[in-house]
Amino acid sequence: MYASRIGLEIHIQLLTESKIFCGCRAAFGDEPNTNVCPVCMGYPGVLPSLNGEAMRMAYQVALALNCTPTPHTRFARKNYFYPDLPKNYQISQFGAPIGTDGYLDIEFHGKTRRVRISECHLEEDAGKMVHAGDMSLLDYNRAGTPLLEIVTEPDLEIAEEAEVLLMQLRRMVRYLGVCDGNMEEGSMRCDANVSVAPEGAPLGNKVEIKNLNSSRFVRKALAYETDRQTDILERGGTVTVETRLWNENRDQSEPMRTKELAHDYRYFPEPDLPVVEADEAFLATLKASQVELPQARMARLRQAYDLGDRVVELLCDEKETADFFEAVIQEGADASTVATWLTSDVRKLLNRHSVSLADSPLSPARLARLLSLLQASRIHGKIAKQTLEAVFELDRDPEEIIQEKGWEQIVDPAALADLAAAVVADNPDAVSAVRAGNARPLGFLVGEAMKRSAGRAEPRALQQALKTALSVEPLYVLDFGGAIGGERRPDGMVQAGALRDLTDMLASEPDLPDSIRFEAIPLGGFLSEEITPGDWAQLVAAIRERMEESSSGVVVSHGTDTLAYTAALLGWCFPNPPVPVVLTAAVQPEQAPAVMRSAVQAAIELPPAVHVALTDGVYPAVNLRFERVDTASARFRTWNEEYHRPDQWPGFSLPDVPAEELAERFDAAMQQVHIARIYPGMRSESLVRLMDAGFTAFVLELYDTGTANLGHSPFGLRAAFEEARRRGVRIYCTSQQEGVVDFQSYVTGHALWREGAVPMGSLTTESAYTRLIAAMVCGDDIDEAFAGMEHRGSTTDG
Amino acid sequence: MAEPGIRASGYEIKEHVVQADWKTVLNTADTVSEYGATVDARNGELEAFLEFRSPAPEDPGEGPLAGLPVAVKDNIAVRDFRLTCGSKLLEQFESPYDATAVAQLKEAGARIVGKTSLDEFGMGSATDTSTLSATRNPWDLSRTAGGSSGGSAAAVASGMVPVALGSDTGGSVRQPASFCGVYGLKPTYGAVSRFGLVAYASSLDTIGVVADTPQRLESVFSVIAGSDEKDQTSVDIRSMQVRETPGLKALTVGVLAPDTADDPAVQQAVRDVETYLQSQGANTERVNLPVLEYAAAVYYTIATAEAGANLARFDGVRYGERPLYAENPDELVRLSRSTGLGDEVKLRILLGTYVLRSGFHDQYYGRAQRLRARISRDMQDLFTRVDVLVSPVFPTLAFPLGSDGLTPYQRKQADRYTTVANLAGVPALALPTGVYDGLPGGVQLTGPKGGDFGLIRLAKVLAGVFPPPTPPNYPRVWS
Ligand SMILES: [Zn+2]
Repeated sequence: MYASRIGLEIHIQLLTESKIFCGCRAAFGDEPNTNVCPVCMGYPGVLPSLNGEAMRMAYQVALALNCTPTPHTRFARKNYFYPDLPKNYQISQFGAPIGTDGYLDIEFHGKTRRVRISECHLEEDAGKMVHAGDMSLLDYNRAGTPLLEIVTEPDLEIAEEAEVLLMQLRRMVRYLGVCDGNMEEGSMRCDANVSVAPEGAPLGNKVEIKNLNSSRFVRKALAYETDRQTDILERGGTVTVETRLWNENRDQSEPMRTKELAHDYRYFPEPDLPVVEADEAFLATLKASQVELPQARMARLRQAYDLGDRVVELLCDEKETADFFEAVIQEGADASTVATWLTSDVRKLLNRHSVSLADSPLSPARLARLLSLLQASRIHGKIAKQTLEAVFELDRDPEEIIQEKGWEQIVDPAALADLAAAVVADNPDAVSAVRAGNARPLGFLVGEAMKRSAGRAEPRALQQALKTALSVEPLYVLDFGGAIGGERRPDGMVQAGALRDLTDMLASEPDLPDSIRFEAIPLGGFLSEEITPGDWAQLVAAIRERMEESSSGVVVSHGTDTLAYTAALLGWCFPNPPVPVVLTAAVQPEQAPAVMRSAVQAAIELPPAVHVALTDGVYPAVNLRFERVDTASARFRTWNEEYHRPDQWPGFSLPDVPAEELAERFDAAMQQVHIARIYPGMRSESLVRLMDAGFTAFVLELYDTGTANLGHSPFGLRAAFEEARRRGVRIYCTSQQEGVVDFQSYVTGHALWREGAVPMGSLTTESAYTRLIAAMVCGDDIDEAFAGMEHRGSTTDG
Repeated sequence: MAEPGIRASGYEIKEHVVQADWKTVLNTADTVSEYGATVDARNGELEAFLEFRSPAPEDPGEGPLAGLPVAVKDNIAVRDFRLTCGSKLLEQFESPYDATAVAQLKEAGARIVGKTSLDEFGMGSATDTSTLSATRNPWDLSRTAGGSSGGSAAAVASGMVPVALGSDTGGSVRQPASFCGVYGLKPTYGAVSRFGLVAYASSLDTIGVVADTPQRLESVFSVIAGSDEKDQTSVDIRSMQVRETPGLKALTVGVLAPDTADDPAVQQAVRDVETYLQSQGANTERVNLPVLEYAAAVYYTIATAEAGANLARFDGVRYGERPLYAENPDELVRLSRSTGLGDEVKLRILLGTYVLRSGFHDQYYGRAQRLRARISRDMQDLFTRVDVLVSPVFPTLAFPLGSDGLTPYQRKQADRYTTVANLAGVPALALPTGVYDGLPGGVQLTGPKGGDFGLIRLAKVLAGVFPPPTPPNYPRVWS
């Protein structure tokens, strides 16, 4: 078993007005060699003059990284010849850097890891050399830009952690306003050192990796390097101490030419600059002006506004968004509503218009006004979205827009009651059908009333007004196949497709309130083992639609075999439904009346959430396990009940797309995900073949708390993991037993984690699988899907 | 009617301009042309100027230095003048900016008339390491004017300018001033901004003044002394707490016992000053400076270490002479340096690289830094006991040029009297005491940090007794 140690050297370009040692503008993208002067061009006789702003920013970062600030910091010359380095020495720091001994806590796969920062030091950047044909061209615009180098201890173990560290650091420096953190444009650059050694042995030989110009390269290059070193060690070889360059075109690293390595930098104190004193007063001013850092802000927002982690993370990713969020709340809006709008519709519109929040026509006051219109029911949800779009297009106030467009709704209860009464009077047939127990014509009546109001009646209030007028409570029953909706053939076999009228079945139930009216909606005559992606898409679309229309609840009849999957899927897709959604199932058609009754009861009585109602009780949707106890009976129970905390795994919000597109998304997602179970004799190769076949994510059932054969034989999974990392394929791990997979307990588990396996904690395979499907359906791309999948509501379970 | 004139080195000077004020020399077309012709003739023999530009006649206007012609050593930037540093590599390089000291001189009304010769990048003590010219001593053309500010000293001593800027890293203002019989001040480190002085050894470099009289030296130094935001190592010595140099009667003078191996004239000069000061009631005491033994070694270790980095920028990439074609950037740099830089410069760069290289850093550079700290401390201690130190400037008078002179090693060892002031960052002033067998001699006054004006005041007093000598072939035309 091998352990890897990774340390990073990160350079961040400080966003000062002028360069570090002269008055030239520190700007990018200008004509080459326009932001230069004798000082930054290294002309004879010039001297550096240290920029106080750069010092302040450098100390700010050092403090934010919990470093001990150096009271007397000084500069040194680092000597090496390179044409883009005007003086052929770089003014840097050696021995007395800005700050030392700090740390940054990073969060990855539910674990918090403290990465020590050995030092932060300030230095000047070089220019750029470009080779064009047989010429070498030099641009010195960048020469003399202040750079802060942040050096970590080798506390990271795997490539993905390095990527997370970079993302967190990027967010931090953007909050501080000292760097834009753009790796592609070089304002944040990363070199790494990697050493692999047998578990428990001292640090192995160190290899430096340079040229990691994006966080994606960092992940790829470091994964490549840990694999490479492990391979060498496993074959009995020795890792050469060297510097390697990441070649992004070939997806591999190559040794740097030795000529480029023979550096003796001959550091000595920079005689042109005095020792700079960072006294108490200076540090106190800095601390006082320090902005709230991302982690602190996330914690505060989570607590102050009772928001979920995913939302908080989206809100706090950019300081601008978090500031905007709080400004809208200052205007009196409800926090969770603001959060929802900002993280969904507003975000989409910003992307569509390619503007930042600050540059968009949406101000906190405008969003607050829009939400207050919505809250006062002067507009409904769809109109609100339309109005938001109009704000972006017209740059006008929401109030003005809805008035001008005539989008304001009718919310006055008296007016709506009149409307309902008129419709009831004019449609006696439909009314009598509803009163007789059929909910279906209710939709027709709502539509009629809506037509008469020219589409301006507030739908919920209108529904309510109609229900009041008719004295009915509609409940939708979606028949999603299974024995419950099927028929027993004379030969005793259960056959799907012969749909029974559940309405009839329930109408005669004496225990149900008189006002309940049903509408049974058949979604397909199949047994639950026959579910296809299209069926799930249809079910999700139907629930979404009925939730909007219905007022009391949605009941879904289902087969038992796959209930645990569908229930979890609905749990992930509808984390906050407006009405209860209740699934139910019966093993035998004969049990149907009883379970249906309990389901309807649950839909009337339980709070809005996805529930599973069975003959023996009500269960939460996620983490159900179906077990057959004997030939006659089967039961459901909650897996890992003791450890499973629903709030650990937040759900997703469905994209606002038509049913057909939803079906496409389900189809695409389910084509990419495979469930695999490890077993003695399983070959790594089989997983690799599945990757070849196009699967991009696996739910892998391990043993116990997450163990597996990780050896290098054909039966060890290492090769599969290496291949997965190389391809960006994710492997989500659950357990065959009732074990919490956290990779904490065994060395092999930890090694799996190091190889990139993502632990799914207490989740069942069914829940993990459907979570992944939901994440993919709800995410706009695979990265967002994986991020959503891995996002934990709470990190306290370790 | 032919006017009577004085023969000066083959050029007839008209009687009416003789002894005219320096400040009038650039007033009219006539005076300017007289001036230009005088300089041309004298410089032809001395090669003190690398570049001379007779300025357009102009009313002197206001300012403490109004109309005063000033020469500037060619390692100090003057806008639109060349800045060759005596190096082939920079032979055609024109400065796009003014050094702070130069800007201050211009502001005060002075007129920059030319750039004076030097050892390449200030590395030498005879103004003979430059590939561009070799300056001769106005007292004896076969001898050196000293170095590295030999051009500035010769220009002042020969009456071509009343005052010139030089640079002093290890004695480069004081030794040539002494060799040529003029006044030379190396100020407190940082007292004059180094911005625009091409760095040789940044922690030792100072811009100094070479002048014909201590009064002139004072007026020019007053203009250029002060802190500068472009040089963050600069200090305002006027705001420093320095003990007032008392009048002669209350003065305590340390006298460094001259080495018996020094030239007898050198020993004589020190004794002359010592005797005079005693006669005026000053307290004199003979002092020993044990650190003197290490001064030259420490100086050359630190100076070359810094020089190696400072001269790295001269690579032919952005400016300077470079080959017409190179295979790649590396070769361009290698060719530019190997053909552009002289032997002494290469030697010092190699030495500097050697003393800093990994594994030997502490043994050489580290040790030199520790000794330097010791020297500073010893000097600080000394100036708690004495107001001023009188010492030789250099072990010899102006030595012959070429092979008759000192070997490079002897020259370096001979820098021990002057380098101490640079290592300790204290001010030192060389002043003439007379002519010894046809060559000028003098002493060095060294004071505590910030004591520059005190040294100048003492020099003014001594000038009454030891008047500045004039080389017989270069009589003063303006005064
Ligand atoms: Zn610049």
